Amino acid sequence: MFKRTLRGKVILNLTQDERNLLVDLYRQMQDLLESPQVPENSDPLARLVGLEGPTESPSDPAVARLFPVAYLDDEIAAADFRRYTEPDLRSEKLSNLGLVAQLLQSDTEKLELSEQQSNAWLRSLNDLRLVLGTRIGVGEDYREEENDDPGFHLYDYLTYLQGSLIDAL
Amino acid sequence: MTTRVLTRSVPSFRFAWQTTSVSIAPLEVAQLDLATARPWVTIVWNDPINLMTYVTFVFQDYFGYDKAKAEKLMLDVHDKGRAVVSSGSREEMERDVAAMHSYGLWATTQRDDA
Repeated sequence: MFKRTLRGKVILNLTQDERNLLVDLYRQMQDLLESPQVPENSDPLARLVGLEGPTESPSDPAVARLFPVAYLDDEIAAADFRRYTEPDLRSEKLSNLGLVAQLLQSDTEKLELSEQQSNAWLRSLNDLRLVLGTRIGVGEDYREEENDDPGFHLYDYLTYLQGSLIDAL
Repeated sequence: MTTRVLTRSVPSFRFAWQTTSVSIAPLEVAQLDLATARPWVTIVWNDPINLMTYVTFVFQDYFGYDKAKAEKLMLDVHDKGRAVVSSGSREEMERDVAAMHSYGLWATTQRDDA
């Protein structure tokens, strides 16, 4: 879990089992995000330099949760917003994942995190909860449910980890 | 992104019988005044996954709101389903929406309907 030291540093303490689990989850997240859904007929050069993003929500609802609609009452503005912002947001998410994946390779149980590293943890853990939560169908009445599905245990663990990081910040 | 509504220039034209130059610029100014009177807003929507403590943290971290204001907005999102978290020009709101998306919050922008 995450803790804050008296000197105001954020410390991360994970067992080897936790690290293995997270490495696996982060790899799955990377796979999900690395398959961009760019329309076939878009300009290849624009696609190559990343100028042109998609205009429609990702078809996978869990991925779509990471790239929400920005305009509810204006489809054209929503498509424009997506085209210009989604590629950057996608690479930002991938770079957060990469930073955390790198930290998870470390053999030490206790790590002192820089501000950039805690920021990458915070956002990527939240992305992970959004994707998993969407997959297992977390709803408003979630707490009332007594569910033995492993997905829910995993979700609770990520919630606990995220909560400890927010407390530490 | 450009604001198409606000930056679209009004082509100047003259009727053939006009001998002096008549600009229709005042009309454009009038439209701008009308537009700025109703600013754009950023709305954050409730969702069952983002933690209440996380949403509060994001409002403090990104907007620099104090804890009381951030918690009030978070509770509005939670209880009423949505809350207006910032207002300003369309460009500013698109920046705020993109930032909220980067934190994983669902935000939209629209003209202030209040």
